[in-house]
Amino acid sequence: MKIIVAIKQVPERDAQVRIDAAGKWIEEAGLQWALNESDAYALEEALQLKEKHGGEVVVISAGPERVGSTIREALAKGADRAIQVDCADLGSHDALGVAKLLAAAIKPENPDLVLTGLQSDDLGLGQTGVILAELLGLPHASLILHVEKTEAGLTVKRELEEGWFQTIELPTPAVLTIQSGGNKLRYATLMGIKKAKTKEVRIIAASELAVENTPVVALERVALPTKQKSTQMLPGTPKEAAAALVEKLKFEARVL
Amino acid sequence: MLLLNLTLAEPQHFSLVEKLILIALVAASAAGFWLRFSTVLDKILHSKKDAGFRLFPIGKRIWDFFWEVACQAKVIRQRPLPGLAHALVFWGFCAFVLVTLNHFATGLGIGFLDPAGWFGRFYFDLAAVFALACAAGILGLFVRRFLVRPKWLGEKLSYQSGVIAFLIFVLMVTYLASFFVADADPVARILWWVHTLALLSFLPIIPHTKHLHLVLSPATVFLSRGGFSRIPPLMGDEDFGLVAGTDLTQLVSLQAYSCVECGRCTEHCPASNTGKLLNPKEIILGLRSYLNDLGPTATEPLLGKYNSQEAAFQCTTCGACEFQCPVGIEHLPILVGLRRGAVNTGAWENDYGAKLFLTLERGSNSLGLPASDRDKFIERAGLPIFNGTQEYCLWLGCMGGYDPKGREIVANLARVMNYLGASYGVLRKEKCTGDPVRRLGNDLLFQQLAEENLKTLAENKVKRIITICPHCVRTIQEDWKEYGTPPPVEHHSEFLARFADNLPSRVVGNSSEGGGGGNPRVKPAEAEVALAPEATSSIAANAPALNLASIASGHDFSRADKATNTSGPLGPADRVPQVRGPHGQVFVRGVEVPLLGPGREKIVFHDPCYLGRYRDVYDEPRRVVALAGELVEAPRNHERSFCCGAGGGLAFLGEETGERVSYVRAAELVATGAKTVATACPFCNSMFRDALAESGDAAPQLLDIAQLIARGLPKNGTS
Repeated sequence: MKIIVAIKQVPERDAQVRIDAAGKWIEEAGLQWALNESDAYALEEALQLKEKHGGEVVVISAGPERVGSTIREALAKGADRAIQVDCADLGSHDALGVAKLLAAAIKPENPDLVLTGLQSDDLGLGQTGVILAELLGLPHASLILHVEKTEAGLTVKRELEEGWFQTIELPTPAVLTIQSGGNKLRYATLMGIKKAKTKEVRIIAASELAVENTPVVALERVALPTKQKSTQMLPGTPKEAAAALVEKLKFEARVL
Repeated sequence: MLLLNLTLAEPQHFSLVEKLILIALVAASAAGFWLRFSTVLDKILHSKKDAGFRLFPIGKRIWDFFWEVACQAKVIRQRPLPGLAHALVFWGFCAFVLVTLNHFATGLGIGFLDPAGWFGRFYFDLAAVFALACAAGILGLFVRRFLVRPKWLGEKLSYQSGVIAFLIFVLMVTYLASFFVADADPVARILWWVHTLALLSFLPIIPHTKHLHLVLSPATVFLSRGGFSRIPPLMGDEDFGLVAGTDLTQLVSLQAYSCVECGRCTEHCPASNTGKLLNPKEIILGLRSYLNDLGPTATEPLLGKYNSQEAAFQCTTCGACEFQCPVGIEHLPILVGLRRGAVNTGAWENDYGAKLFLTLERGSNSLGLPASDRDKFIERAGLPIFNGTQEYCLWLGCMGGYDPKGREIVANLARVMNYLGASYGVLRKEKCTGDPVRRLGNDLLFQQLAEENLKTLAENKVKRIITICPHCVRTIQEDWKEYGTPPPVEHHSEFLARFADNLPSRVVGNSSEGGGGGNPRVKPAEAEVALAPEATSSIAANAPALNLASIASGHDFSRADKATNTSGPLGPADRVPQVRGPHGQVFVRGVEVPLLGPGREKIVFHDPCYLGRYRDVYDEPRRVVALAGELVEAPRNHERSFCCGAGGGLAFLGEETGERVSYVRAAELVATGAKTVATACPFCNSMFRDALAESGDAAPQLLDIAQLIARGLPKNGTS
């Protein structure tokens, strides 16, 4: 089975993000970058499928030169080769634009399965994978926790709300967007990094892909979320306070 | 003194047949020895070369050799009775070198020491004294091994040891008996031959038994890696640590063959003592078996048949084994090496371990909390940000930056530093030093963390680091060296001890304290000023000048300029005046420093492994504790301190099998009857926090040494 995993490089979780002078993007200087979390789960799912059924795992990532480090990390964890779509101005692309780039690069590979994280940790649009499926003309399912290969195609476990799950059967080839937490991730090893040095990374310039970048979504402004915190003290005996808390969690916060 | 008048009897003439038999026997014995020994030597020499091994500086090697081998200092000090018995045997052997050479020379008719001559008589008599001691020593060791049978020597009785002990005993007895016969006496000839046979039987037994340490361990001690727990750098693209036989280096093989199976490592191992699988002695013997069976060119994994992966990952890296080892085995590079082999190749699968690695691959701290939590703490605690001008960079570490108790320790240390007028600041951004991943053998992650941190320190122009965590101290100071030049680091115990004279003491010198409440408190203005030359207080007696302005400001940023000149401890101008009341109260700038009630608070100090064995810092924290109360010692203290169970990344590896190391140590600390347990490591603190909670309300309070000092500071004073 040939599996392509589309991954994204995002600012590291602990990065101190600042908005740039134009207010349209974040200050990239001095930031440290990491593999998007749900993409890491997509990669893990692909590696486990390969370990079980054989085949090849190819990672693809679009972005400027710096995404090379994230690609190497994926290769170190066990991907066989990589495609880097070199695109210095990824920020100017909307989800459709990025999906077009990825689709153009993926199509000639004729994969059996395309996996990607369900959303990115930085923008959190959750659209790229789904649009990618449309552009490739493939069936897709989102929020997938587990993938099983069957005679006919795939059986996937999909997360619904409120603790419900759905099991779906799909034919291959297909596109799946993977939810975090379905697997245990493997850690990067020194041996993996050394092996990654000899693996193929094909760099394709975005211009080569002859994809039109005409954003349909216009970015107005980027802002840090405003901090909000409200604390309520619940008076009374522990019993009364607990009852009031349950009430609030049920009807105000709606988490129970 | 009787012996001094006696002369050693030697047969005066040996027949040609005797000489030929002797030559044949010596040749056979030597061949027996060499055949077996050369295989061992071959395996050692054909092991991989040790990368980065330097013979120089040689001074320390010579000293270690003199002290540990010639003087047997470690052997005696750490196990006095058996150690002394061993030393007597060893010194006996040394004295016998000349005796033995002459013994065989005599058999061939070319004896060079005349028992009747002045030197011969002197030397043989001297050797007789050694022989007596040696016989007594070996007898003692025999009794210990076969009758007392301490469990450290293992379940199985070593009969070879019995044979060896018997042979040594025979050697000594035959020698001594020769003083009581005449040269011409046929008994002298019998004794001579029995002595000879004992010696020649002894020789071939050496190479395939633990008695090989006789030959190898002097070299092992001399050829140490040159530092405690020194983890060698990985060399080239194929080196992932100790994966297979091909990764065993000459030093590792030499050490594996040097093991004398005394079990000191096991006796002191926190894992072995709490029912874990790990037994450091068996790890070394496992490597020896591997070398015996497969050799140093085998590609079979080291972890598997000969050693277990589970055991290798139960090590807390406390270093008690390496410290105790009398034959110079360096267990930590081996244990960490085995872990490196397993982690660097991905062979180690452990949910907790993988979680820690992933946490540090993606985030900044081993606790997995967002870095913004650290920022909030810094803001809340009012810690100054390091801007390159301050003397100290206060390194928070994961525990100090994110753990609630660790933060308390940091905040208290900051109060003390403010009180002393020290100039310091904390970095805006810090990553884990990589200690847990270093000890767990993840070189990839460790390198990333070390390099990023070194870069941050260089960018911020950090000249000097102080931290509350001995793990940070060790990792920054020693382990980062592989990737750059870290600035000097010190542990807060060293800092506090240096300024002990300026810190308030809660120890009440006279016993008038607490005698009814009749006397009104003396106002500071009326009190005796301890700065007077005749001051009785040792605390501030050496403080000649005041610098109130700098004290009042909390921290004196202007000192950064001075610091570059003095670079040492704070100058005398920084001393804080203390005023003594007639009842032993201490006043600082008009505010009474809280003192304890009658008597002194008993405080037991727990030596953190990474401060004690790793850094050799034992007295400094004790000096600090002594300011706060009466220092009491746990049964195992200083170099013999028992681990809290957190080291080696084990704090992150979840439930332990068997008894918990922290519980065992906490119970030992509680049993001292101390009211307070003092720690100097946030990991120890965290481990004991849980362990002591088990003892309920009767548990002693648990405080870091910084907290012990801070609670004695004036309440409404600085900070």
